[in-house]
Amino acid sequence: MKSEEPIIKIRNLKRHYKTGKVIVKALNGVSFDVREGEFLAIMGPSGSGKTTLLRILGLIDKPTSGQYTIKNLDVVNLPEEEKIFYRLTQLGYVFQDYALVNEMSAIENVYIISLMEDLSKEQSQETAKLALERVGLGDKLDRIPDQLSGGEKQRVAVARAISKTPKILFADEPCANLDTKTSRQMLEIFKMLNEKYGQTIVMVTHEDWHTEFVSRIINLKDGRITSDKKVYK
Amino acid sequence: MFKDVKVGFLTAKSSVKRGNKKTTIFIIFVLSLIFLNLIFLPSLINGMMKLFVGFVQDYAYGDVVIEPADGNVYINDADNILTKIRSLNDVEAAAKRLTVGASLAYEQKEVGVTILGVVPSDEEKVSLYPYIVKEGDFLGDLSRNEIIVGAMIAGTGPGSEIYDNLGEVKIGSLINATYGNNLKKIYKVKGIQEGTFELTDLNALVSFKELESVLGIEGEHKASSIVIRVQKAGEEADVKSQILGMGIKDKVFTWQEKAEVLIKQATQSMSTLDIVSKIVSLIIGASLIFIVNYINTLNRKKEIGILKAVGVSPASVIISYIFISLFYVMMGIILGLVLFLFLTLYLQTNPITFYGSLKIYPVLELSLLMQSILIMITMSLIAGFLPSWLVTKESILDAIWSRE
Repeated sequence: MKSEEPIIKIRNLKRHYKTGKVIVKALNGVSFDVREGEFLAIMGPSGSGKTTLLRILGLIDKPTSGQYTIKNLDVVNLPEEEKIFYRLTQLGYVFQDYALVNEMSAIENVYIISLMEDLSKEQSQETAKLALERVGLGDKLDRIPDQLSGGEKQRVAVARAISKTPKILFADEPCANLDTKTSRQMLEIFKMLNEKYGQTIVMVTHEDWHTEFVSRIINLKDGRITSDKKVYK
Repeated sequence: MFKDVKVGFLTAKSSVKRGNKKTTIFIIFVLSLIFLNLIFLPSLINGMMKLFVGFVQDYAYGDVVIEPADGNVYINDADNILTKIRSLNDVEAAAKRLTVGASLAYEQKEVGVTILGVVPSDEEKVSLYPYIVKEGDFLGDLSRNEIIVGAMIAGTGPGSEIYDNLGEVKIGSLINATYGNNLKKIYKVKGIQEGTFELTDLNALVSFKELESVLGIEGEHKASSIVIRVQKAGEEADVKSQILGMGIKDKVFTWQEKAEVLIKQATQSMSTLDIVSKIVSLIIGASLIFIVNYINTLNRKKEIGILKAVGVSPASVIISYIFISLFYVMMGIILGLVLFLFLTLYLQTNPITFYGSLKIYPVLELSLLMQSILIMITMSLIAGFLPSWLVTKESILDAIWSRE
């Protein structure tokens, strides 16, 4: 049963950084909640701050100011060691450019996460195998990234993110480098994870047709939220 | 910690297994040359030392030597001491010697030498003098007015051109000897000895009885030294203790004690060369291992960022690079040893030669080998740790996207 309490709470989040002498306000006071089991799309034009927002949500970047809690835990101010552990055990992150280790096979790229969680090698491999089967790569476990297509690489990245069944899955334009057919397959996988396993997903995208898979859309422009609406099917 | 090691090992294994093979081979080859450099020159110097020490044992001092007490010119009661020493269980043989300075002249040439008075039959058991006579014969116990001259002073042996010599002395030549007490003698050259070493080839030998008569100490049982050979190598210290236990007032030295002083003098410049060579090797080696690892790590900066972003701990990343660095160094050491073996085999057939026949072979001692391996491993640990630690200190964004 899903809780009504938001899993993510964002309040007045700001991220400013300097480029030369110019201060760029990538996020300029963003506030919203995400409930457990939601499939949220963050949309907006280039430079609107959506990737910056997702990186902060994934604990890869830090906000300049504002509050960000996950299950009422102030994750922004966690010590670095705890942040790494939290990212490992609670969050999944799918990068736009796959971010796979080129010298590791598909299964190694995935099971390294379980090893880090102190599972045995056998358990880790079994978990990774299941995750790869879930994204349809059960027959390509030993391929290295160079031997996989763009779509397959992205599926390995998804398998890595979901292998530990994280509370929240963040995806940064996961279909940016994929053709329409492969993009659709990828989004079907996200939808399945969301509907079948109740995975909370926050995805950055700029493609309108992707919204048919999500349950909520937040639009950003110039670092501010311009709209926040549910999608009813 | 154990999970960090497991993850570090997995990433290191993948990196080595699927990394660029040419780069890996190049790194290992360079490391093998660094290792070879660390062991080759010292082992060659060691080989030279062994050779010198061998000479010291085989000619000058045996395994244990007794010399006169301070203030004395001779060992008094030498025959009695000799009898007692020969009765010791661990003693193989012992011989007394007399030593005196003299000048030898032949035709218009004159050289200063040390003349050794030996008991020829005893000398066969304690030294190699009787076995290095290249021309003619060794002395007999009854020899009088006969002399063995070293090849360098005879002017016939290798190295004679750099010393004053008598100019082509032959067997049967008559040479004039003038001793420190102004006594003049004429000797017939019975043999020419060639040990390819100054200690033997710049000296001359006459019989003990002959020198006793020259010095006017006949029947006084005196000697300049007593040279002793032990039955088994390693018993020198025991034999020395036993001799001292006999209440002898004279000085007793093992060959190690004698060699230490001699080699210290003889090898000071070699040691400097060795130390300078080692320091240069270490600096070059450490820099190279560091540069290779640093470039390797920087090339994988993005990968390190990715690993951190997906939850892999910085410790795992550092351990991974230490494993990679250790792998390169271990392979470098193995290849270095193979190269050293080939070089040693080559030098067995083509040795480095001094004076035409003094052959130097590299001698690799376990302590030097262990020291060099330890140095290489320490360098690799530092070179594996430092660059990866620096990169893991960067933020994930900087590492993955090289953000300014």
